Amino acid sequence: MIAMYLAGYAALNAYARGGSAVSFEARAAEEAATGVVESVERSQALFGEKAAALSQLRELAAECAEVNWDGAGAIGIQAAAVLNVQDIVRALPAGIRMPEFSPEPDGSISLDWIEARTRIFSVSVGAGSRLAFAWLDGSDSGHGVARFDGERIPARILEGICGIISHGNTAVRPF
Amino acid sequence: MAILPSGLSDIVADEEDLARFIIQSSHLSAFMAKPAAFLPSPRDRETSVSRHGSEPSEGLWAIGLAAAGERCLYGAAIVKARVIRSVQLEVLADEPPPRHAVIRAWPWDEPDPEQQKAKQKLIAAIIASQAVLLRR
Repeated sequence: MIAMYLAGYAALNAYARGGSAVSFEARAAEEAATGVVESVERSQALFGEKAAALSQLRELAAECAEVNWDGAGAIGIQAAAVLNVQDIVRALPAGIRMPEFSPEPDGSISLDWIEARTRIFSVSVGAGSRLAFAWLDGSDSGHGVARFDGERIPARILEGICGIISHGNTAVRPF
Repeated sequence: MAILPSGLSDIVADEEDLARFIIQSSHLSAFMAKPAAFLPSPRDRETSVSRHGSEPSEGLWAIGLAAAGERCLYGAAIVKARVIRSVQLEVLADEPPPRHAVIRAWPWDEPDPEQQKAKQKLIAAIIASQAVLLRR
């Protein structure tokens, strides 16, 4: 039942994000879908964790919106980066806990999953669709870039996050 | 080797402690400074640090408060200079202000900016994993 509900929500979310409606009826349907998506996200029963994360994100974006927020010449958090992070949060599968957010000097937002000093997965989200990421996993480490289409978390990133947070937790699967 | 106005050598020794002051609460996780706290400024491609360890704490926080200015000072991440050099970065004395130093030679000017950023993030994560967080 929940799977069906989530599938319906994902479809509605994609529709609400579409923005390509041309007729009055299509625009009305799109607005209705947007309303449903927003309403669903406000539901603490199902989306409490995501709603809280999005609230933290908005606070961070407001706090670091101006240039030089760090006193060392940082670029203000870009609005497009905030929208991208929102899409990523919405696209995170159930069972994966929300990341911690932090501002980066180049105007990007870092999404971090930190389990221990040497168990870290960190993704940079900027205004574009390509995401820079890096990880530490014990003595193993690496970095890479993946493209986010606005709806699905790139497989390399999802696998990386699961590898960090699912240590000893077989209930969490990327797909 | 020369002596700087602070009384420190102009050469930063490998075993010297470096303090990265934390002025963003979101740069702190439960038990460590996050990697983003160490990323370089796009203005000068450097990360500012102070040549100071955890003790004496009064001296550390006095420098930190001066560096923070009107911003809130949440803590400091202390890391050895040799950790910075182990990830192929440079640590150079940069006074004034007294005890100021910079971390340089971050990956830059690569054809793919996201790949460059990914490399910077890995380096910052390694530094963060080795740093000791002091909360104020």
